[in-house]
Amino acid sequence: MSERGTLILTLIGRRLIALVALVVIVSLGVFSLLYLAPGNAVDVLLGHRPRTPATVRALTDQYHLNKPFLDQYWIWLEHAARLNFGSSTQTSLPVSEEIRSRLPTSLFLGVYAFILVVVIGVGVGALAAMRRGGLLDRLVVGVSVVSVSTPSFVAGVVLLYVFAVRLGWFPVFGAGSGFAGTLAHLTLPAVTLAAAGTAFVVKHTRAAFLGVLDQDHVVFAKARGLSATRIFFAYLLRNAVIPIVTISGVMLSSLIVGAVLVEVTFSVQGLGQLLVQSANAKDIPMLQCISLLIAVVILVANLLADIVYLLVDPRIVLGRR
Amino acid sequence: MTDTAGNALEVVDLRIDRVREGRLEAIVSGVNLAVARGESVGIVGESGSGKSMTARAITGLLPRGLSASGEIRYRNRNLLDLTERAWRGVRGTEIGLILQDPFTMLNPVLRCASILGESLRTQRRLDRNARRAEVLRRLAEVGIHDPAAADRYPFQLSGGMRQRVGIAAALARDPEILIADEPSTALDVTTQRETLSLIKQIQATRGMGLVLITHDLRVAFAMCDRIYVLYAGTVVEVGKPAELDAEPLHPYTQGLLLSEPPLDHRVATMFSIPGAVPNPDAVTNRCPFVDRCQWATEICSNGPVSLSTIEGDRQSACVRLPAIRAELAAVRRQAVAGAAPRQPDRLTSRLIDVRAVSKEFVHSGRTTHRALDEVSLSVGENECVGLVGESGSGKTTLARLLVGLERASAGTITIDGVDATDWSALGRADLRKLRGSVQIIFQDPYSSLDPMRSIGWTIAEAITTRSRRARNVGQRVADLLSEVGLPQSYAELRPVALSGGMRQRVAIARALATEPRLLVCDEPVSALDVSVQAQILNLIRRLHVDRGLGYLFITHDLSIVRQVSDYLYVMHRGRVVESGPTEQVLDGPKDPYTVDLLKSVPRADQSWLTSSPPGHVASSGALTRKE
Amino acid sequence: MSAVIERHLDLTRHDVRSRRRRLGLVVSICFLFVGAVVVMAIFGPLLAPQDPQAQHLALVSADPSSAHWLGTDALGRDVFSRVIVGARTAFFGPLVIALGSFTLGNVLGLLAGYHGGRVDALIMRWVDLMWSIPTLLVVIVVAGAIGASYWWAVALLVILTVPFDTRVVRGATLEQVPRPYVEAAKTLGVPGRWIVVRHIWPNISSIAIANTFLVFASSLVALAGLSFLGLGVSPGTPDWGLMLSENETLLFANPIATIVPGVMIALTATAMNLVGDWLDESLAGRGATR
Repeated sequence: MSERGTLILTLIGRRLIALVALVVIVSLGVFSLLYLAPGNAVDVLLGHRPRTPATVRALTDQYHLNKPFLDQYWIWLEHAARLNFGSSTQTSLPVSEEIRSRLPTSLFLGVYAFILVVVIGVGVGALAAMRRGGLLDRLVVGVSVVSVSTPSFVAGVVLLYVFAVRLGWFPVFGAGSGFAGTLAHLTLPAVTLAAAGTAFVVKHTRAAFLGVLDQDHVVFAKARGLSATRIFFAYLLRNAVIPIVTISGVMLSSLIVGAVLVEVTFSVQGLGQLLVQSANAKDIPMLQCISLLIAVVILVANLLADIVYLLVDPRIVLGRR
Repeated sequence: MTDTAGNALEVVDLRIDRVREGRLEAIVSGVNLAVARGESVGIVGESGSGKSMTARAITGLLPRGLSASGEIRYRNRNLLDLTERAWRGVRGTEIGLILQDPFTMLNPVLRCASILGESLRTQRRLDRNARRAEVLRRLAEVGIHDPAAADRYPFQLSGGMRQRVGIAAALARDPEILIADEPSTALDVTTQRETLSLIKQIQATRGMGLVLITHDLRVAFAMCDRIYVLYAGTVVEVGKPAELDAEPLHPYTQGLLLSEPPLDHRVATMFSIPGAVPNPDAVTNRCPFVDRCQWATEICSNGPVSLSTIEGDRQSACVRLPAIRAELAAVRRQAVAGAAPRQPDRLTSRLIDVRAVSKEFVHSGRTTHRALDEVSLSVGENECVGLVGESGSGKTTLARLLVGLERASAGTITIDGVDATDWSALGRADLRKLRGSVQIIFQDPYSSLDPMRSIGWTIAEAITTRSRRARNVGQRVADLLSEVGLPQSYAELRPVALSGGMRQRVAIARALATEPRLLVCDEPVSALDVSVQAQILNLIRRLHVDRGLGYLFITHDLSIVRQVSDYLYVMHRGRVVESGPTEQVLDGPKDPYTVDLLKSVPRADQSWLTSSPPGHVASSGALTRKE
Repeated sequence: MSAVIERHLDLTRHDVRSRRRRLGLVVSICFLFVGAVVVMAIFGPLLAPQDPQAQHLALVSADPSSAHWLGTDALGRDVFSRVIVGARTAFFGPLVIALGSFTLGNVLGLLAGYHGGRVDALIMRWVDLMWSIPTLLVVIVVAGAIGASYWWAVALLVILTVPFDTRVVRGATLEQVPRPYVEAAKTLGVPGRWIVVRHIWPNISSIAIANTFLVFASSLVALAGLSFLGLGVSPGTPDWGLMLSENETLLFANPIATIVPGVMIALTATAMNLVGDWLDESLAGRGATR
């Protein structure tokens, strides 16, 4: 075990270095957004404020606009490391404050949806595979296709209409306060968000289980009279988990994308809605911060998925045949 | 008929059907067999015979879509009536099953100790130490004495080792009967014998019944007390090994016996059964062998055949047996008639000259694997040279080097005067010359041809690649087809419509399009049914005579190499360990590996397994993977 | 001997498992639906009963009636006509993305798979990088910087989708390259480009084509999503995504105005996905891929 242990640690170490490198690359791209935008950097940063020599000078000083590109980048990076991204061009308030206030909401939504996706997705997928060809299976496959194809903003609107407008079970918009309140407010958004992700996970879980069910080692396990429980956990689940973990990175990306759309649909004051607002208003500093934040979250999540994969499949580290 | 009282297991009128689109397709049509306590019974058949499905049916593990009917009597119960829950009490505890492929049989994410531990009886609640001791004891029973093996994952063990672990796991609950489905087929020839010997020994020690499923009649002869010959879903003959060997009583059994040529001498013409194995569903209402049998008449197609007792324990399903019995024997005598071996004249100019060639493969920057180690070999004009080795010997790598699919790391290769060590460094003229000198036939006929293209297109491509402005391409395609024994109408067909043997012929026709002087044949018949193999071998021999085509015949099968080659090289782990005229090498081997290899060829008698233990080059306890 | 062989014409060990599923009812409906969308996309303005931009300010947010089959929106525009004309942006953008990504992805995938080595390593590194990037977010951020527009989004999506096609095609190519029929072609001297075009491509085309339908569906959803967020088509354009967001406020008044465009998006995407899946399964019998 220790041989494998050291190998795993080395691999993780290597991936961490790669992650840092990637974050740096992404940050460079994110920083360049200021210069991608058409027009003068100053004008972009001014936003709606009037252009006077005083404000121009203030902005040039604040953002070091008269320094060479790489110097600006370096200063920006230093500030970013200390979580200072400048001020929003819309509100002139510090970016990090705005983000901090919205983070809990998005986090709650994300975790809520993630739990739904994993529990329902894996559970239903496994069940459908075990009863392959049966009514449940065909139903699951059918619903999955529709669910995957239905964008979250469409599903959101429909759910909003049915449950909030017509039935009045849930509030129509906002994020509520307190745990119970938040739960109530965020249920419809979380369900909407989970819908597409669940369908995706169901499809891959089902495929993973079907792939394992046909394998020789499962037949051999049955031939030895092993109990159904043992076969399910040690043979089916253990082996099916491997392909499922590999898609979890993609699943997370789609969850994040979905969150943006869902927040807009349900008018939830989260980071996703902030992102869209900033994009519409060309609020570059805000965009920079949110993009970097999302990039780091995704990279870290992918790294975690990679680590889980390493732990779960002994062949990776110790060498395939 | 055998005494029912002494039988542990009886299969009565077993039928297995596949349910497809509303109708039933027969896979096995009415099999009867019996296994007495402690007896070993062999089921011999080629592909499509239904032997594996029979094994699955006996353990209740038929794949989805297949259903079985009939009776499987064990301890006064019909096993086919059992619920899944009841089956769990039977599988492993009463009837054990070993699968064919050791590389997929064991759960890749569990260590061997876990695999064995979970298989042990659950009634006895053992504590950790006791369980560990039991696991090690079981491993020792199958010849694994190194405790470290228990802590390895399956992928860290060689094929032979994995098979042993599988056997130990299958026996963990001490079943009365063990069904071994081709337990050695996926293993190297030398490991095969060890594995089979182990199974036989365990059977004897435990007094278990054994059902051995194999496609190799000689293996069944060596291992079993009684043999059932299965063809296209029907049992065509039953008998004891000695009796079957002395006088087979069914044209198919005889054909099967004769299809594997003898090891000890060269035969004049190699025997093969024309045609290919039919779909069991297509032959349910007649003798399944009727399309390929030279004695078939109308009565053979009258209705389904069944076994009738001929004498003593022997049964045969041949309705014409009394009439043709004498002819059957005559054909056999003729088929095993010997032929004088050719004296290889090694003074002819060397077409291929390989000198001190080495090849190393680098795996993802870390490990290097030395596939060939200073190999020297030569093939003359119009010469038939054999190259024998198991997997990992480097024989396929060498073949690929000769046709430019790989590049040597060291050494030189000269083909027809051209330096062929590095094909990418050659000019067009040289490349053209090389391609016109040497061509290759691959092992797997099922992926040798582009599935989306017709046969004619594939051969035409070979012709036009050779000479852009070729004329009469259609005619030349037709000529090539008839040269390999296929009707010209086949040019329009896609590969999917042809059997393996036919596809291999097409591959040969394609290779001939460049008018090569030498054909490298990399295990050209290993993927074909035994009864069909000689068709291709005879074709290659005939091309040698008609066209003056030399060949380098690569195989692991010593019996075949004796028939087709005059000079022989033996390779082991990337080196040539012995070479010489084929007759000399096979009759008087000098290298211990060659000796070992010869011993491992299945011989149709019981002493094969127990004769002096192999002086193995690699110890059987080795944990390293076989390369 | 050949007489015996003639008799065995159709007897092969690997039975020809005809995977060609008959054109089921569901798939037929999907084809028809997609056909209807195409017709609407091409002939939209001709088919719409009213001018999609005309505002009937007296009939704002009206329920469906005989004059306006799906009612009107907040500016009094006929929803039904807007839905029909909206098929344009739902079809052509995704079409360009699907075809563009298909072309580039196939070229790169075949190159990477066939040549291997450095070329492959380079391409795969790029693919892996793009694999975890959430496409839509990148488009949102870039749109935020350079200003949103439908066709810029299409261009960006083509670039962002190519890695997915590349990966699929490369995987399929890699399966074929070691097969003996490819190696036989090499030993015969068939030039590399011919091998890729005449041997490998026909055998993987089913996978590549089926994948394109799936790409179309996801591009449709992405573009509609962008318009929904206000970062796609310009305001006022009849577009299903934009209509969905514009009319969200009408949920209490005329919910049809927002639900129907949404349903159209979902149905078109579903239909494309189903067709893609069906193609995947029915063409899978052909070629060496299964």
